[in-house]
Amino acid sequence: MNRLRHIAAGLAVALALAAAAGCAKRAPTTAAKGTPGNPWVIGMSQCNLGEPWRVQMNADIKAAAAKHPELEVIYKDAQNQSTTQQAQVSEFVDQGVNLIIISPKEAKPLTEPVRDAYRAGIPVIVLDRKVEGEDYTCFIGADNVKIGREAGKFLVNLLGGKGNIVELEGLMTSTPGQERHAGFMQGIKGSDLKIVFTADCKWLEPDAQREMNSALAKFPQADAVNAVYAHNDPSAHGAYIVAKLEGKGRDKTIKFIGIDALPHEGVRYVKEGILTATFQYQTGGAEAIDTALRIFKGEKVPKNITLGTRIFSQDNVERGGEVIE
Amino acid sequence: MTSGPPTVSGQPSASAIPETPARPLWRRVLARLSEYRGLLALILIFIIAVIVSPVNPSTGQRVFLILRTQRNILFEYAEYGILAAGMTLVVLTAGIDLSVGSVLGLSATLLAIFLIQFGWSPVVAVGLCMLAGLAIGSMSGALVARFRVQPFVATLVMMVAARGAAKLVSGGVKVQPGLPGYALTSDPAMFETMTRPLFGGFLEPITILFLGTILVLWVVVRYTRFGRSLYAIGGNEEAARLSGLRVGYTKVATYAICGLCAALAGVANASRQTLGDPEAGFTYELDAIAAVVIGGTSLMGGKGGVMLTLVGTLILGYIGKLLSLMGAEEAHRLLAKGLIIVIAVLIQRRGE
Repeated sequence: MNRLRHIAAGLAVALALAAAAGCAKRAPTTAAKGTPGNPWVIGMSQCNLGEPWRVQMNADIKAAAAKHPELEVIYKDAQNQSTTQQAQVSEFVDQGVNLIIISPKEAKPLTEPVRDAYRAGIPVIVLDRKVEGEDYTCFIGADNVKIGREAGKFLVNLLGGKGNIVELEGLMTSTPGQERHAGFMQGIKGSDLKIVFTADCKWLEPDAQREMNSALAKFPQADAVNAVYAHNDPSAHGAYIVAKLEGKGRDKTIKFIGIDALPHEGVRYVKEGILTATFQYQTGGAEAIDTALRIFKGEKVPKNITLGTRIFSQDNVERGGEVIE
Repeated sequence: MTSGPPTVSGQPSASAIPETPARPLWRRVLARLSEYRGLLALILIFIIAVIVSPVNPSTGQRVFLILRTQRNILFEYAEYGILAAGMTLVVLTAGIDLSVGSVLGLSATLLAIFLIQFGWSPVVAVGLCMLAGLAIGSMSGALVARFRVQPFVATLVMMVAARGAAKLVSGGVKVQPGLPGYALTSDPAMFETMTRPLFGGFLEPITILFLGTILVLWVVVRYTRFGRSLYAIGGNEEAARLSGLRVGYTKVATYAICGLCAALAGVANASRQTLGDPEAGFTYELDAIAAVVIGGTSLMGGKGGVMLTLVGTLILGYIGKLLSLMGAEEAHRLLAKGLIIVIAVLIQRRGE
């Protein structure tokens, strides 16, 4: 009985680990570096894969890296824990990766591990959220203020310089929420566009639905609301649903615009005629791989790369949107 | 590794046959070995991990085997280990403490407030955090012992309330230097001290805190009257009461110690994150319980020990580190973790 137990235990543990080992890959150590047989190894630490936008970032990196057989990317998901992400960076160093891409959960706790890796001679590309100080190779991020400003200018044009706006904000304790608001205010400055209702929807569609309900109840007249500016596409979508359920046809008269433009969210909503426009908040995944390749070739790369945005509207969505420089 | 009073786990299951000289030697050896099955599993996992570990292409070293990786495992699992050590005592009394993750978060937040917002000395700040942990643990204990609330419910209440308190005192934001009105504009020195190796670059104070907690609680459980009464209460509470043990007092003290451990884990968490995160420790109670169970302490109470929990924590740590080094996806990791817990529980059942 005892022996059986031991054998069973040993087997089970071995099986579990063997199953896990199935996903391990080994880099061969022969041949020159940067060839398909012996690729450059990139470690990518994503702060969490619970948000569709971050899943898209990994997908963008994967798609860009797939075109380069001389690259191999190891992905790690920090499950929204800074301490896990700290550990991942130091693991990458110990594993001897040739470059690290990190999209940090938070600046402060990740600053030191990134600095240690950078000072150990490993190039580090920081995506979307910054770390403190200057100890990294390159920061790539989109500009939320610019995106908000473009959204504002777009609405000024669309409504002929006059109208009432409902603003459904993202989490206003977060920088993207604050910047998307500040940019929008810059964009509508000087026009007769007025924000008549505003609420913090924390990026969540259910919250946006609730707030939009309140807005419609507060302004029941047919033309009291001309447009909804939502800080993300799901919120804009939620607002549309509520307007439609109201049954007064306001889903047709109000213009809904959103931000992020993920292929299966915002872009699809524009194609379906739900949103008038959405502005892409680029993940920088493809740019990160480009930058990594330049670093491997020994080229000098800029310390900061600010990504532009792309508008997807009814006119251009079938053509894949239009770049706004 | 034989923790707690001798148990019958070495004997063939479901048999009341006393040990006789006729019993063959190999059975006795195996029976002896079976007491160490947790440790054997740990060694087995270590060996497998070394074999399948990725290799650093420039140095040719197996990454799992290098000293820094081993040190990092202890460092990174210290918070779970400290929580699990305290949890072990509660589980020995056939109780459970779901509040430890929230208490960790509250303690981390309070520490950051005391150090960064008020600029108090680390000794005062840590002392107050420990008091907070003791207080919450005592409240759980009182609910369980005095008001006969089921441990699951009593500590569920504390889990929710402590998380609420953490968000209340922090205003829902992470407490870090530089916010308006705060005493400090840069990191308190204590955070750096806690996470820098001592003794010629060998162990970090957080790791020492972890191993120290294990050691102290091991001594308490194994060599004190209080420790032995935990087994008596977990084995048969009524019998323990009738034989004159102060069951209520012991239970309150047990939950208080568990709360204290959670507070210490919170100090470790704030030091590692260099800020006070009111969301810290979310779902950590489940990992702590997993470590206790994997080690071999019975959730039915009365059987197990602190050293077993150290083994359980290390098993989780080794597997977690290995899967992370291999870049396994989260889905695979969760499945592996589930599998390990099931195996551990099944082995435990066979042993009873």
